[in-house]
Amino acid sequence: MDELYLDNIDEYVNDHNKIVTYKWLSLTLGVHVNTAKQMLFHYLDHKRKESSAPLHATYLVTGKLVENGNTCHKVSVVREEQLEDFKSKMSLTVSVHVYSVQKAALKDSGPLYIVDYDAVKDNLNSCSRYSAIKCADAVPVSPADVRRASDAPDPHQNKATSVNGHGNLTSKPASKLPPKGIMGMFASKAAPKNQDPGKEIKVEQKEDTTGDVSKSKPAAKSNPLSNFFGSQATKRSEKTMKEEVTSSSSVEMKPATSPPEKKVKETQPKEAKVKETQPKEAKQEARRCPASDSEEEMVDKKKRRRIKKPQSDSSDNDDVIPDSPKQQEMRKLPPTPERLLKEKIVSQPNECKRRKRRRVMKSRTFMDEEGCMVTEKGYESESYSESEDHTQSSKPANVPAKAVMSKREDEKKAQKKMSATTNKGTKQASIMGFFQKK
Amino acid sequence: MTTLTRQDLNFGQVVADLLCEFLEVAVHLILFVREVYPSGIFTKRQKYNVPVQMSCHPELNQYIQDTLHCVKPLIEKNDAEKVAVVIMDKEQHPVERFVFEISQPPLLSVSSDTLLTHVEQLLRAFLLKISVCDAVLNSNPPGCSFTVLVHTREAATRNMEKVQVIKDFPWIVADEQEVHMPEPRLVPLKTMTSDIVKMQLYVEERAQKT
Repeated sequence: MDELYLDNIDEYVNDHNKIVTYKWLSLTLGVHVNTAKQMLFHYLDHKRKESSAPLHATYLVTGKLVENGNTCHKVSVVREEQLEDFKSKMSLTVSVHVYSVQKAALKDSGPLYIVDYDAVKDNLNSCSRYSAIKCADAVPVSPADVRRASDAPDPHQNKATSVNGHGNLTSKPASKLPPKGIMGMFASKAAPKNQDPGKEIKVEQKEDTTGDVSKSKPAAKSNPLSNFFGSQATKRSEKTMKEEVTSSSSVEMKPATSPPEKKVKETQPKEAKVKETQPKEAKQEARRCPASDSEEEMVDKKKRRRIKKPQSDSSDNDDVIPDSPKQQEMRKLPPTPERLLKEKIVSQPNECKRRKRRRVMKSRTFMDEEGCMVTEKGYESESYSESEDHTQSSKPANVPAKAVMSKREDEKKAQKKMSATTNKGTKQASIMGFFQKK
Repeated sequence: MTTLTRQDLNFGQVVADLLCEFLEVAVHLILFVREVYPSGIFTKRQKYNVPVQMSCHPELNQYIQDTLHCVKPLIEKNDAEKVAVVIMDKEQHPVERFVFEISQPPLLSVSSDTLLTHVEQLLRAFLLKISVCDAVLNSNPPGCSFTVLVHTREAATRNMEKVQVIKDFPWIVADEQEVHMPEPRLVPLKTMTSDIVKMQLYVEERAQKT
């Protein structure tokens, strides 16, 4: 190869003060990754001989390591100073190559990721064009196949989309399972044959299977999550520069970062970002609960109906629905409704001590459009603790509209109007007589 | 949820929100890279889809948030010309300054970049430049502290003094000795021009730091 690349790399490193990773170099110069690695090595060699401005380099080391009696295949990015030390710890060093060259002494591995992120993003359709990882089976799907697949919902697509955006923590380990299976497949093969291309294959395969922008580094870093599923020969990729688990910390940030993302898209200027999501989630839970028809919820409602039946007959539906969201808010549970419902079932015996909301007949006086004073009696919800109250008023005459319970109210209004006249079971004097005189 | 049409977008607010978020991340990153505080208080977080360092210290975080909260209205009205993160030595003399020059682009418009992905990419480039800036800067003496100075256009500070944006968080006019740096060396880091904001980052450092 010609010597121009040395000048190119020199320009990037010294003039532009860039971090030159082998992947970025291969995509920028349009060369195979192995060529890029060799270029970086020669450049480093050349510059060190000239003993000009200090350069820093990072290396990618792959090999077998015995840790706690388990032999694992380890892939790490290490600083040059730690390279020899690290190599000596490994029982078998499979490959070592230059990962990046830069002028600055990096304090953490974050910038390495940023460099590759943008490089891959710009070349999204052909990011594996120069890679050494090949798989004969990995062929782009034809449009006909896509149409066929879209009729039967593809679980893999769901995993890909959930990894892409701000997916839940629960879905993230699931989405990493396919790569982990493939990783296991490679790890079980003879390790000495695992050269650089081998490592590349695994890394790039993950990118292909998940099919999103997420890089080899976060994909590899999430392997600690897949450790939950246990396997002795799992490949663990660690960065020795920083020991944090990026995926877990990045997932923690997701609730906080997703509101800023939403803001940018929807431009709602609000300051309390995190606080905003919590009431939103609570409202969503509340809306979900009346609308969902999961079995557990029905069981819940039935259970509650049984408890309340002796006290009131048909207004329990209204009582049940406002109770459940309020209970959730009071308990401050994590957002998924399923978990909430499970906890509710578990805590059934303790219900009698809880504070609940009930609908109480209250009268409101106001001016209507014609300027007349109108007094309306209606049901409004009020919190009480169950032990205090054993008498409940039942049929509402007028139902005040509430966003949370509007669906139920619509259903109940028809019932109430029909049976309004028959309501005599309360201790309060019924007001229906007043209306009937008309 | 109402969908905002293009006419509804309040540019000042969009730009101010965007910039304040970015400045918060940038300030944390500067404190980490320039070793103003021990690296133990920093943890990896995610912003713009990349890992960034952010401090865990609650008072420091609150201070930075309050500072930028007060700067936001100035950016909204396009009154803030520069936001400078100044690192000072033990004697309160500035040692180096990271200056973010903010201005409105000549053609302010709602472009095709409604999802702001291009802007995000440019901001990522800024973060990358801050991460490698220690290659071009001399190291700071130990025991440094930092402050944030805002250079405003015209007399915008008069309004700030009248209306305290955050209670018990007053802004005062900076002393001459906090501002003046003898023989500063200018090191440009990054420039960006997008449809909604134009920003430049450079570092002024004192010729002799220790």
